[in-house]
Amino acid sequence: MLRHYLTMTLAVLKRRPFYTAISLFGISFTLLVLMVVTAIADHALAPMPPESRQARMLGVHSATMWGANNQWNSEAGYLLFDRYARNLPGVETLTIFGSYQTVTTYLGDQRVSSALKRTDAAFWQVFDFTFLEGSPYTAADVAEARFVAVITQASRQRLFAGQPALGKTFEADGQSFRVVGVVENVPDIRMTPFGDVFAPITTAKTDAYKREIMGGFHAVVLARSTDDLPMIREEFNARLAKMELPEKGFTSLVAPFETAYDSIARESPFGDRKDPARQGSKLTVFLVIAALLFITLPTVNLVNVNISRILERASEIGVRKAFGAPTRSLVAQFVVENVILTLAGGAIGLVLSALVLRALNQSGMFAYAALSVNARVFAYGVVMAIAFGIFSGVYPAWRMARLHPVEALKGGPSR
Amino acid sequence: MTRHLVRLIWNRKRQNLLLTIEILCSFLVVFVVALFGLTFATNARAPLGFDTDRVWTVDVGRPRSLPGADAAANEANAAREREVFTRLLAAARELPQIEIAAGTFTAPYVNSSWGSSMTLTDGRQMDLLYNRVTDEFVPLLSMPILAGRNFSREDAGSGTDPVLINRKMAQTIFGEADPVGKSIPERPDPREHRDASEPPRRQKRVVGVMEDFRQHGAYSIPQLVMFDRLSLDAPNGGVPDRLLVRVKPGTTVALEPILVRRLQREAADWSFEISTMDHLRERKVNDYLMPLTVLAVIAGFLLLMVTLGLTGVVWQSVIVRLREFGLRRAAGASGVSVRRQVFAEMAVMTTFAVLAGAAIVGQAPFLPLPDGLVIDPAIFTGAVALSAAAIYCLTLACGWYPSRLASRIPPADALRYE
Repeated sequence: MLRHYLTMTLAVLKRRPFYTAISLFGISFTLLVLMVVTAIADHALAPMPPESRQARMLGVHSATMWGANNQWNSEAGYLLFDRYARNLPGVETLTIFGSYQTVTTYLGDQRVSSALKRTDAAFWQVFDFTFLEGSPYTAADVAEARFVAVITQASRQRLFAGQPALGKTFEADGQSFRVVGVVENVPDIRMTPFGDVFAPITTAKTDAYKREIMGGFHAVVLARSTDDLPMIREEFNARLAKMELPEKGFTSLVAPFETAYDSIARESPFGDRKDPARQGSKLTVFLVIAALLFITLPTVNLVNVNISRILERASEIGVRKAFGAPTRSLVAQFVVENVILTLAGGAIGLVLSALVLRALNQSGMFAYAALSVNARVFAYGVVMAIAFGIFSGVYPAWRMARLHPVEALKGGPSR
Repeated sequence: MTRHLVRLIWNRKRQNLLLTIEILCSFLVVFVVALFGLTFATNARAPLGFDTDRVWTVDVGRPRSLPGADAAANEANAAREREVFTRLLAAARELPQIEIAAGTFTAPYVNSSWGSSMTLTDGRQMDLLYNRVTDEFVPLLSMPILAGRNFSREDAGSGTDPVLINRKMAQTIFGEADPVGKSIPERPDPREHRDASEPPRRQKRVVGVMEDFRQHGAYSIPQLVMFDRLSLDAPNGGVPDRLLVRVKPGTTVALEPILVRRLQREAADWSFEISTMDHLRERKVNDYLMPLTVLAVIAGFLLLMVTLGLTGVVWQSVIVRLREFGLRRAAGASGVSVRRQVFAEMAVMTTFAVLAGAAIVGQAPFLPLPDGLVIDPAIFTGAVALSAAAIYCLTLACGWYPSRLASRIPPADALRYE
């Protein structure tokens, strides 16, 4: 049956190449845009090194503290994690690290900017960076505040012209660091592990950070199993709800452990920063509405073109109806045909999006990104193509199937 | 004729409704791009209010220190930090390549900005772009002063807070009257949290009017702007986050490490990060133009898709209606008149779509808009007119080939055509 549909579709598509080209252009362009957006989101949010164990990870990336007249939105501070996030049940490892800070190295007449992230030693256990040279700094390095650093491949290129860097030193923000390891680049859209240079948290210029509950720090836990995640979230929220705030004029603080997506949603205009519950669904609703709005025009366009094509096939419909084909089977046939068409358009869109993604990688718009159409993006693409095919196929199919057989045999409705 | 046309369109209402919806959607897409484009173009023509040629900004990172419970300790710490910053300014000025240095909280093209709001005694609520700067800030950025003068030493200890406001704010508050020397008629915010220990709020007295301070660059929306005078000798002023310098012509990047080391010597536990204004401006321009470019490219492809689709649809409907056109030709209508009919039908549908589209976007000013997003009526109507014109061109272009087809077919052939 499907084979019959396929043959029919190909025959129809070949009959009027202009219409086929119009349809395929619209479909492939629409799916191209959707797939590029999906690929970027996938590259930012899906599990991949150095966040391969992302399914067992939760992080605190934003904090809000408020009172009757004040509200303070930023990252949480080191003290908050040091005091309340240690010894959470179900946690295998906890890492506390700073937001990256842009630092400059001067090499003769050249300035090199790097994103410096100051971390603890557990950072290297939670995130699985691939080491090209050397190894991470240790807990002893952090405790002794040794000026050692792990740099990325791109930093090695900029600071040491790509030569082996192990044991060499460089200056950044007036401090001198010795390289103990070189890791693969991290795309800057993976905000949690992103950095160019990593150094022990204790190398900060002062230890003032150790006394602050707000500002500049993130914490990520690696849970023993995914089942422990809700417990970790609730326990930390409960501890924060009980804490006494040292700041004048502030009465409440919310800084929940959550996924990167939930955290983005929390900081978006759709999230509520004061609500410790997960915020992701609010952003999802917005994104779905945005996608539907985007495909409205392509859908209407395709529906119009499809309806025009019905009239091409009036005699075929007339014959089938005259021989007693029920409306349902006609609708099914045309919807399947349309889905086949959108899948073909989707295939073109897939090839085009691979090209667009390659251009984006080369443009440096997303630093160190390696955007690609992977299996996941491909699967999303297929689902989107089928959904688009059904959306744009049902109405024309219904119109088609309702043609009066006599009129249809005569070559279409008179009006 | 028009009635006849409307009837013809009505007869094919189901398909024409879908076509009208498609044209309507296209109108909305064009409208969004036109609105952004016109807003940017209008903004770009307004004066920036400063000149960042040869200006560098130094981000000054201090160890954060939250106000603790001990007020005396807080003030002692703040006084120490102000003193350090004064030394930093002096150290920068000592370098021969540096013409002038100033302290400020925000600077042109940097990402952080300081918003503030005030309520006037007449009840008007105003959101404004706020900054606190030292006396050298205005000459450093060559900011034109339209009336009055820049901050100066004589403002110290005057019992009122001297402020600089931009032209737009002067007009908003004082109308055509000369604002220089006047106090801003401000009503204290009842929600504001003030301790009994803090001194009572002082009157803000306008010492001068600046052209503007479009912090986010040429494409940003002009805002109300107010500067307070920052004096590093006086308490309560805070410590600036940035140090601005203007270097002599011909100065290269080689000065950067020298400057950083010099500053670092005054404050070992502070951090310094230099950026040139040219670099920041480039990044900021990109922040504005990149989304518009992406939007315009997507809209362009959508319109191309619509153009092709509509052409196909109109073509098909012309073929279906060949008998009708043949009849008209046989009854004596010229090819031109048949062609005009196809165009006129398109125009009627486009008119319906544009009217509906205008009605839809016309609701926008009544929606609860986010703060700071003001819709300028001139830009808005301009965008409606521009997109309407674009859509008419588009639909007429779609009718071009099919209508030619309709007018070319000999009447006898058309009548025979099945």
